[in-house]
Amino acid sequence: MTRLRIVGGAIHDPANGIDGDVRDICIDGGRIVASLPADAPVLKADGMVIMAGGIDIHAHIAATSVSVGRRLLPEEHTLDPVAAPTLDDGTIPRSGTGGTVPSTFTTGYRYAGLGYTTVFDAAVAPVAARQTHAEFDDTPIIDGGFFALLGNDEYLHRQIAANEIGRAKDYAAWVLKSTGAFAIKIVNPGGVELWKRNVREVKALDDPVGASSVTPRRILEVLADAAIGLGLPHPAHIHCNNLGVAGNVSMTLDSMRALEGRRAHFTHLQFHSYGGERGKSWSSAARQVAEYVNSHPEVTGDVGQVMFGDATTLTADGAVEYLLHTSTGRKWINADIELETGCGIVPYTYKDKAAIASLQWVVGLELFLLSADPWRMVLSTDHPNGGSFLSYPDLIRLLMDRAYRDEKLKSVNQKMLAGSALADGIAREYTLNEIAIITRAGPARQLGLRQKGHLGVGADADITIYSRNADYARMFSTPRYVLKAGILVVEEGQLRRAPAGKRIYVQPGYDDSLLRDLGKYFEAYSAIQLANYPVTGLCDAPVATGAV
Amino acid sequence: MSGAARFEGNATCLGCGCACDDITVVINGGRITEARNACALGLRWFGDGSLPGAVLGGRSAAIEDVLGEIATMLRSARAPLVYLAPDLTSEAQRAAIAIADQLRAFLDGVTSSTAAEGILAAQRRGRASATLGEIRNRADVVVFWAVDPTLSYPRFQSRYAPNPVGVHLPNGRKDRTVIAVDVGSQRGPDDADMRVQMTAEEEPLFLSSLRASLAGRTVGDPPIVARVTELATRLNRAKYAVIVTDAESPPPVSNGRADSLIALTQSLNATTRGSLCTLRAGGNRNGADTTLTWQTGFPMAVDFSRGVPRYRPEDAALPRLARGAIDAALLVGAAAAIPATVTDALRGVPTIAIGPRASESAIDASIRIDTGVAGIHESGIAFRTDDLPLPLRALLPTPRDTASLLKALGAAIAAQRGSA
Repeated sequence: MTRLRIVGGAIHDPANGIDGDVRDICIDGGRIVASLPADAPVLKADGMVIMAGGIDIHAHIAATSVSVGRRLLPEEHTLDPVAAPTLDDGTIPRSGTGGTVPSTFTTGYRYAGLGYTTVFDAAVAPVAARQTHAEFDDTPIIDGGFFALLGNDEYLHRQIAANEIGRAKDYAAWVLKSTGAFAIKIVNPGGVELWKRNVREVKALDDPVGASSVTPRRILEVLADAAIGLGLPHPAHIHCNNLGVAGNVSMTLDSMRALEGRRAHFTHLQFHSYGGERGKSWSSAARQVAEYVNSHPEVTGDVGQVMFGDATTLTADGAVEYLLHTSTGRKWINADIELETGCGIVPYTYKDKAAIASLQWVVGLELFLLSADPWRMVLSTDHPNGGSFLSYPDLIRLLMDRAYRDEKLKSVNQKMLAGSALADGIAREYTLNEIAIITRAGPARQLGLRQKGHLGVGADADITIYSRNADYARMFSTPRYVLKAGILVVEEGQLRRAPAGKRIYVQPGYDDSLLRDLGKYFEAYSAIQLANYPVTGLCDAPVATGAV
Repeated sequence: MSGAARFEGNATCLGCGCACDDITVVINGGRITEARNACALGLRWFGDGSLPGAVLGGRSAAIEDVLGEIATMLRSARAPLVYLAPDLTSEAQRAAIAIADQLRAFLDGVTSSTAAEGILAAQRRGRASATLGEIRNRADVVVFWAVDPTLSYPRFQSRYAPNPVGVHLPNGRKDRTVIAVDVGSQRGPDDADMRVQMTAEEEPLFLSSLRASLAGRTVGDPPIVARVTELATRLNRAKYAVIVTDAESPPPVSNGRADSLIALTQSLNATTRGSLCTLRAGGNRNGADTTLTWQTGFPMAVDFSRGVPRYRPEDAALPRLARGAIDAALLVGAAAAIPATVTDALRGVPTIAIGPRASESAIDASIRIDTGVAGIHESGIAFRTDDLPLPLRALLPTPRDTASLLKALGAAIAAQRGSA
């Protein structure tokens, strides 16, 4: 179906200033167009709600770490077998398994079934990027991209130590280009390298990482500047030091201040917004973080909401997973990845009877509800860390329905909630347009994707159509129709087609003189040949970089 | 020797799990004449690159029709098996898994016959691990636990540890302590700096005593404790200790070694840093586990018979074959490299073999289709023993590309189902 006119639905397209107006949407050749001939096929959406396809700015779905996590969880997969869907489009449907870390095909089907059409994997070790591309090839429907881990990279640290900042930028460009990545990711800057050296805590942004001139602060500055200097669509995507630790809000705010005036994205802020003191007390510091973001338009963030139930913590931040393993006694994977990064995995269950999990749940909701600008504080659970992406509809209900939220709040452990904004009562309820912002328009703007997240002429025809329901969790969990690049993938709530998604990546330029120095470094230390590092065979056109 | 030689640099060798990617292959007259940098295992694996290109046993000459015959035979089976042998690209592995899913077959491969114990232990406990390059650049204490890599992983010591210079080991071998642990006849390398010996019967107690000792407790009888204490002291003094174990050579009698080594290396991280390095043999074995995991959630022994993946490591291909529970088999990959127990058990089961030298294989297959070897004749991805992906390039033409052929077979199966 190349042409289609969608009629009768209420359009929620905040990027184009449309808030519930009933208008036609015309689709031709996978894009939204201004008009169609009168005889074009029609899809009736009377009484329904129409939004652009959802965009997940931060999830873990296609990477070495994800498959290592999958392998760790046979018991979860056994409990959630997924039969192959019945498809009409001639593609061979595939079975799979779910749980918190689903198999690839199931991941694609389930995201699409939820009305999401674009997903970014937030943490890929560059040396293993070809696996991410291969996994995306087996993840149907959704367009995918990923962020390349650079904050603990030995070569990058060496350039900072030598004050070769231009070369650090060239190196970042080379990594992105070689691996087909979309953005620069920083995880626990310097802290993963320190963990490999058996230094388990970053106390301050100016702690040395080996050389005294290499510090978390310098890593943040150099990589944030590199993203800006390269004209990347998305700024540096930052997971701050001291994730999940009481009192970490000071580190989070220090990191934000270190980059004041620079474009930067701070991710899963819920995990970084705790007051109190390490080993002693916990409290919510969401208000401080929200206030900082509110008053700094150059900063964007996503929440990383915790949802009660099973999760799998899965991160490049190996140090934090060791703590989680020892505190929970659950099984634990650590994988130190050569010269670049780390990886830690621990299955985890957030219980509403548990004090810390309840505090985390509250902190996330406070970040949503105290953020003045939804364009700059978007929805994520850091899937599968705070909970599965399947919990997004329930999260949307918590944001839209105060009565539901307050009722739930009463049932959670109250021990650490005294004085928190949510416990004091927050009346705010998100509107449909605000939901459209935090789940599509906002992520698209933060990512710099001009053809995504909106329904204007020229946009990709990624469209989700919901039947109205007073229970917003039900409304958002079962879209009536989902279109991906103009193809009806979900019809009457059933998955019907599973076209391949596209890859979203950049190909920034760099000074070739980098390669001589890099060649010597690879010769001395790498266990992989420089010539074998780059990923080849990417087919889709890259997203443009450079001055906007 | 005639004509100009062609040099293919940076080729990846799948002779063992080390997956050395610095091989320069010299080709002359359509044959591999040299594989520079390759060890003896690698030289054997590359060979001269010559391959048969036959299609045997089909009723028709056209490959499309033969695929149709195969599809019919596999579809009519009640309990088919798809078996992944070594020397496949991950692209071919993925296509084979797709066929198993379509057929509602049982899917398995060499892993469940060789390295299952370590995988199951890691599913119970997790694991502390490091990629080979991390070991090269960081490990100052290297323990070879009942393995001497010289024979089965010949370049491990020169390429990864202990010999190379690393970021944190500027003097290479001199900066490292090598400890050989001999368990019965399974010996560590001869040139170790320290040697610890035990019988196979002592090993479980030694391991539990070592774990206790790392935690500051004393468990066991004096003869063991003396040896344990010396080793524990050295491990605790390490900045980054790695214990190397060979998944392909488990103890002669199962004694929980894999599980204990995981627990031991995990607990090392209470005081210092440590990792377990698990060695696997060649032919992209880790790729089979990895691709199967991302497509199904399980690394081996997957039963699709109910239309969903179910994990059956306790009832893998071999016992199923042995009790006659498999009535057709599609064997994909290098038939010569599968365990003899599986080859024997396949006798009498109607079998299709698709892979390099299928036409010459000892497998009793009714239809045999020759394809190429991953990384020699076929391009794609393979996974090193530490699960890092590496590129494979075709150095020589393949008789027919395994992944493409399997996708065509999948399409033939789908077409028959559609018209049935």
